[in-house]
Amino acid sequence: MEESQDINRRSFMSIATWAIGALISAAFAIPGVAYIIGPALRGREAQEWIRLGSTSKVELNVPTLFKARIQRKTGWIVNEEELAVYVRTDNGRDFVAMSNICTHLGCRVRWISDQDHFFCPCHNAVFDTEGNVASGPPPRALDRFEVKAEDGQLYVLGG
Amino acid sequence: MASRLANWLDERLAWRQVWDAIFLRKVPKINWLFTLGSATLFVGVNQAVTGILLTLYYVPTPDHAYNSVQYITTEVTAGWLIRGLHHWGASALVVLTVLHMLRVIFHGAYKYPREVTWWTGVGLLLIVIGFGFTGYLLPWDQKAYWATTVGTRIAEVTPVIGNWILRIMRGGEELSAVTLARFFGVHIWVLPATVLLLVGAHLYLIIHIGISAVPKREE
Ligand code: HEM
Ligand code: FES
Repeated sequence: MEESQDINRRSFMSIATWAIGALISAAFAIPGVAYIIGPALRGREAQEWIRLGSTSKVELNVPTLFKARIQRKTGWIVNEEELAVYVRTDNGRDFVAMSNICTHLGCRVRWISDQDHFFCPCHNAVFDTEGNVASGPPPRALDRFEVKAEDGQLYVLGG
Repeated sequence: MASRLANWLDERLAWRQVWDAIFLRKVPKINWLFTLGSATLFVGVNQAVTGILLTLYYVPTPDHAYNSVQYITTEVTAGWLIRGLHHWGASALVVLTVLHMLRVIFHGAYKYPREVTWWTGVGLLLIVIGFGFTGYLLPWDQKAYWATTVGTRIAEVTPVIGNWILRIMRGGEELSAVTLARFFGVHIWVLPATVLLLVGAHLYLIIHIGISAVPKREE
């Protein structure tokens, strides 16, 4: 009797110790993981309308490159960055704004007027004037921005 | 399954022997004061875990240190908690280390055959203080800057070699980027490496010699 009591007490202590240990470990592990992945899960900050320039610069049917300076906060650092956007129109009223970032692996594409296509120098991707993939490895068309024209000025939504 | 794996490993590593030596060793009838060393060790582990996490965002240069610390506290998920644990843990560690040492003194536990345990303890106390001193500069705010200005000036009071010590601590005559970088290096590399060695020796000796009993009147 005495013996079995002893064993019970012992195993109870053992279980209690492990349980408290597990609790303490979880108390560190859960905030620890949240802390590590927190900034990775955060999306871009609020989007806003960025002014690109005058609509008159866009010739009919020719993607025209606009560059805008934007402020981007990464961690605790606010950087001035350049946002490059190709704008195209076929009637002078409706505009399409395309990112110049290749959808393959992120190099910058360039519009070559002579050939009427966008070319990516990294793995020879070719996109047509609408931004659709003409050839090469990219999985999808060039990304588009929401765009608006106000008082003869072009704006895209970004951040 | 788990026990088969445990047996398989035990056959090659003899880990049960190690486990038993650490956790099933005989101890005399003792009291709660004897847990102070373990409490110190626990807070030390807390410092290691939270400290490693802090280095994920902290940048030890004058143009980023302050902002990266603010970023941790105000923007990173649970950053306030991780930093808070490290901040308050630092004070707790000093208090617990001293209380543990007082217990050893009052019980006369530093005597033969535990002199070396005591010496490693003295080393650990110095390291704990060194952690506090170097860590205090890292947030690079006004308090940090002036505390280290004063602290290194105190070291300068040392006869003959004082100015030399100050220059080595600051990495020059002035408190600068060099000071911040070396305090960081000492705080996260030099002291942790030394503390690992000394805690290892300290614990080995405690297990090897066995804990001392509470002294009795007749002895
Ligand atoms: C980081 C700091 C330290 C840690 C983690 C630590 C850890 C421990 C632990 C877990 C024990 C087992 C018995 C007990 O807890 O009372 C112990 C015993 C001991 N410690 Fe420490 N200790 C530290 C600092 C010190 C300091 C500053 C001294 C004295 C200068 C010291 C001297 C001793 C001695 C002599 C023993 C043996 C006591 C006995 O056998 O009864 N330790 N230490
Ligand atoms: S990144 Fe443009 S083709 Fe690979």
